[in-house]
Amino acid sequence: MPRRHSLFWRLVLLVAGFCTLLIAASDYLGARIDRETSFLSDEAVQVLSGYGEQAQRALQKGPAALDAWRAALAERETIWLVVVDADLQPLGNQQLSVEQQSQLTFVRHFKWPMSLRSQQLPLVAIPLAADGAQLILRLPEQFRPWQNRALLNALVMYALPILLSVLFCGLLYWLLISPLEQLRRQANALRANPLEALLPESMAQRRDELGELGRSLEYLTQRLRDSVTQQRQLLRDLSHELRTPLSRLRVASESELSLSDLRDRLERETGVMQTLVDSTLELAWLDSEQPQQDCEQVDIAALWDVLREDALFESGWPAERITATLPSDCAVQGNLNALAQAMENILRNAIRYSPPEAVVNLSAQAEPEHWCLCIADQGPGVPESELEVIFRPFARLCQARPGGSGFGLGLAIAEGMVRLQGGRIWAENAEPGLRVKIRLAAV
Amino acid sequence: MLAHNAHSILTIEDDPVLGAHLKTSLESQGFEVTLATDGNLGLSLARGGQFDLILLDVMLPGLGGLEVLTSLRHQRRTPVLMMSALGDEGSRIQGFDCGADDYLPKPFSFAELQVRMVAILRRVAYEQRGQPAPQDPLHGFDDNRSDLQHDGRWMELTPSEYRLLKLLHDNVGEVQSKPFLYQQVLHRGYSQHDRGLDMHVSNIRRKLARGEVTCWRLESVWGQGYVLREQLN
Repeated sequence: MPRRHSLFWRLVLLVAGFCTLLIAASDYLGARIDRETSFLSDEAVQVLSGYGEQAQRALQKGPAALDAWRAALAERETIWLVVVDADLQPLGNQQLSVEQQSQLTFVRHFKWPMSLRSQQLPLVAIPLAADGAQLILRLPEQFRPWQNRALLNALVMYALPILLSVLFCGLLYWLLISPLEQLRRQANALRANPLEALLPESMAQRRDELGELGRSLEYLTQRLRDSVTQQRQLLRDLSHELRTPLSRLRVASESELSLSDLRDRLERETGVMQTLVDSTLELAWLDSEQPQQDCEQVDIAALWDVLREDALFESGWPAERITATLPSDCAVQGNLNALAQAMENILRNAIRYSPPEAVVNLSAQAEPEHWCLCIADQGPGVPESELEVIFRPFARLCQARPGGSGFGLGLAIAEGMVRLQGGRIWAENAEPGLRVKIRLAAV
Repeated sequence: MLAHNAHSILTIEDDPVLGAHLKTSLESQGFEVTLATDGNLGLSLARGGQFDLILLDVMLPGLGGLEVLTSLRHQRRTPVLMMSALGDEGSRIQGFDCGADDYLPKPFSFAELQVRMVAILRRVAYEQRGQPAPQDPLHGFDDNRSDLQHDGRWMELTPSEYRLLKLLHDNVGEVQSKPFLYQQVLHRGYSQHDRGLDMHVSNIRRKLARGEVTCWRLESVWGQGYVLREQLN
């Protein structure tokens, strides 16, 4: 069922209106043509009135004159005519056959509409001045009524629909094609570099399907614009980050280092660059490919043990500084490697910003059909306004969380990995410290 | 470690610098190295010769690495280690789908390449040797049940966990590299972010602790792999 603001209703209105208009117009015009063409023409009426006057004058002169006039007219017009009194009896010396007598009752006044049904030309009556006498004659051929009727009817039947169709199509065009034309212009504008095509007000206000299409296009434009901006930013950040190890290498190559020092330096800086490139590739892959990850049951306690062991080794922290308070049944539906990478990045981040002797703890809270994991550190936290920014690539909040040596890609990758598993990740400030939370489907 | 002397390696790599480096480095380690610089030559060499391992670059001029691998797999099961600058997950999966034994993203260190090569060669050696390890009634390994019994209690190990523990036990006190353990236990190549093996280790530790098995300690050796050590109570 089409919705209330659907184009369907407008089309229904338009088509129904068109059909009704067509029927009404041809009906009305047909009737009008029938009526107009059934009357004798003005010229005919004038000539016939003239005959009437002549008959009147002849009648006054006497029967012989009447007969002579009648014979003369009959010969000139090659018609049959008779002058009768009020009782339909012929005047003068004319004799009528029975058939002719009977036909006199079908006579029509010459100013009335003629019947279409009679086969031959009708008999018309022209009243004379004197006491009900009338001249009755068969209509001369040249005054035949209905002459243009066929032509006019054909016009109504064929020309009128064509004319109305033009009108109908004009309306349809105005209704459908001109908004599409606007959309086309907007789509074409996407080819232009700045991607600044905005929906015209008239399209944005529409509540029908075309309005929806326009808004989809608008959304698409915005997405495209955001994505291009993001890519450019990413490229800029990446080049910027690569400059640091490259410039260190340049310095190293120009300084008087011993071979082993140089080799160490080389090793370290290529390591940095490799991590950077790997992470960026990973991020680009997460962003563009939307890969489907196989989900399995992941036991969070076992996973945390794995991550904790690595982190303890990397950071050199004593074991009691990385802790977990987990319910024994805590298992989520996720991809092991993706979740491990996400949690590892969060854990590394937490360790990086922890003050001396501080603890990093993982806890989990059961929600209906979900688990909410929380990795809490005791570092400085981040400003409320930056809580979402930290998940963007290359977001390093240097002033707020000093001491970082990473590229600010860890949390962006974590965000991508969690999103891939149908989960959600966000950060909250605790007093003190930062809590990064991951919400995933429970098993 | 393994004696390399007998091993002949075919390297298919179009980068002259990397190819030459691989050849000299591997030869200095005692491998016998044949170098091919394009896919067609590499494929005909691989079909004709008896190589123990093929190092195959993915992006080659002419016939690409994946095509070489696909054609080769119709005829031979020679182990193949793919090396690629395409380090992302999708290319890796594609490589394994074509029948690669391992997939090493560039850039890599020579040490890492060597660990991976040794892992594959060791796995092949294990396969050729069959099942040499005798049943160990003392420690209650049960191959049929894929489980370990201690003090009359079953540890309820999964088949993968059982294979891992048994392999470590067969080589007790010897560090087993992660690439080798992936090859031998999980039958797949190792990649940086793969946590499957670590989870199995974590689970084995929990089960051993639960079963109060105190005579062994399953240790991680950072950057290398895992080792099972016997300890005296």
